[in-house]
Amino acid sequence: MKLENLVEAYFLKLRFNLKSEASKSYLNYAWWILEPALHVAVFYFVFNVMLDRGGPNFTVFLLCGQIPFLWLSRSVNNATGSILYGRGMILQISIPKPFFPLLAVGQDLVKQSTVFLCLLLFLILVGFGPSAYWFYLPAIIIVQAMLVCALALVAAAITPYVPDFRFLVNTGMTMLMFASGIFYDYRTVLKDEHKQWFLLNPMSTLIECYRDVLIRHQPLDWNGLLFLLLGSLVLLILVLGFYKRHDAAYARLVAQ
Amino acid sequence: MEDVWLEYKARRSFFRHDRFMALEALNLTLNRGEVLGVIGGNGSGKSTLLRVLAGVYRPDRGQIKRFCGNTLLLSLALGFDPELSGRENALISGVLLGARRQRVVKKMDQIISFAELDDCIDDPLKTYSSGMRARLGFSVAFFVEADLLLIDEVLSVGDANFRLKAEKSMRERISSEQTVVFVSHSSAQIVGLCDRVAWIDKGRLRLTGQPQEVIEAYNGHQCKSTSS
Repeated sequence: MKLENLVEAYFLKLRFNLKSEASKSYLNYAWWILEPALHVAVFYFVFNVMLDRGGPNFTVFLLCGQIPFLWLSRSVNNATGSILYGRGMILQISIPKPFFPLLAVGQDLVKQSTVFLCLLLFLILVGFGPSAYWFYLPAIIIVQAMLVCALALVAAAITPYVPDFRFLVNTGMTMLMFASGIFYDYRTVLKDEHKQWFLLNPMSTLIECYRDVLIRHQPLDWNGLLFLLLGSLVLLILVLGFYKRHDAAYARLVAQ
Repeated sequence: MEDVWLEYKARRSFFRHDRFMALEALNLTLNRGEVLGVIGGNGSGKSTLLRVLAGVYRPDRGQIKRFCGNTLLLSLALGFDPELSGRENALISGVLLGARRQRVVKKMDQIISFAELDDCIDDPLKTYSSGMRARLGFSVAFFVEADLLLIDEVLSVGDANFRLKAEKSMRERISSEQTVVFVSHSSAQIVGLCDRVAWIDKGRLRLTGQPQEVIEAYNGHQCKSTSS
């Protein structure tokens, strides 16, 4: 398939998949906002109401952690089985296999953009912005997008070889959620010797960057962000190289 | 296509795989403007051969030299989504088959009219009967241009009238210097459409030659197999 065709097919499929998905429910596109809102509501209820562990401005603190994390977890989860689900197309046309995980990532990116806009509006409404530091937000989003793409491509590449990997991704995402400081502030909860380990988790660094910019209105950790950008780029190059080399193998793997 | 070998592996358990040789030492030449028919029993490797020619599978051994531009494996219902309308499905299917978006949009009226779906093209595909879906799939694929056309049993779609129309249109397209590899179980279609026929048996090329001669040999072999 020629590149210009592939690009056209990508954006058409992206648009139509979103439309198709929305048409399967009564509330259609409203679920793009409702689903993350319900996630946040559950965490708010458990940690702030039941356990009384929230503290001041817990809703804003939770939103700035939960929403970026949902972007990553949803994209990686949806991309994981994408090559297997693309079986029908893979067996009929010669198509580069990264098309499928990147399509899943693209769909979640569109949904997430709406959620981010709502988050910014909410922050303005509750008196947390806007501030000049918000101009740093695109940099954080770009780094997270690179990380999401890299992890989604890796997960999608492994699953056709080892279908059981899907279950590990689910469990891995739950572990990552608890280890990313979404509903606790690592500065007050963790011991000093554990803090460096905590920040090795890419989502912890990203969530801290979001909170620095959106809530604390202070300069973000540029070193951490740059390190993440380089790491994601290296992983992206490696995984795209893997796809290039093993692209032909996937048609026979999904036919098994 | 020179000395092409292709093996399938089917996963049975964590460590166990069943192996199945789908194509063995296959040699084939296809000339520009020629219509090559492919016949053979179920599981003989006909569809695998088309997938290798379409670039879907890469052979384990051997090589394929192509002297043409784009190759199209005529696939019905490629990328179809039951929630979308017939028009939207036609658009995405056409683009996935290799046509540019503008071209599919331009040809949309012809596609709809050929598929005889003028009244319901904007209804969701899930409301279509299987025959209507097949007609839409065939119409989209038919209007996509390619240097090499690979057809796998798709002329038997829809009702009797549509089948006749599809076959007639395909015959017109084939007669206009289109290079085609045509897989079918219908001896009449093979004799009527093809310049040369290849008989594939258990992944091996058993015989190539004039349609009538190969069909007779194949039918004779089938009769012997059935009686024994």
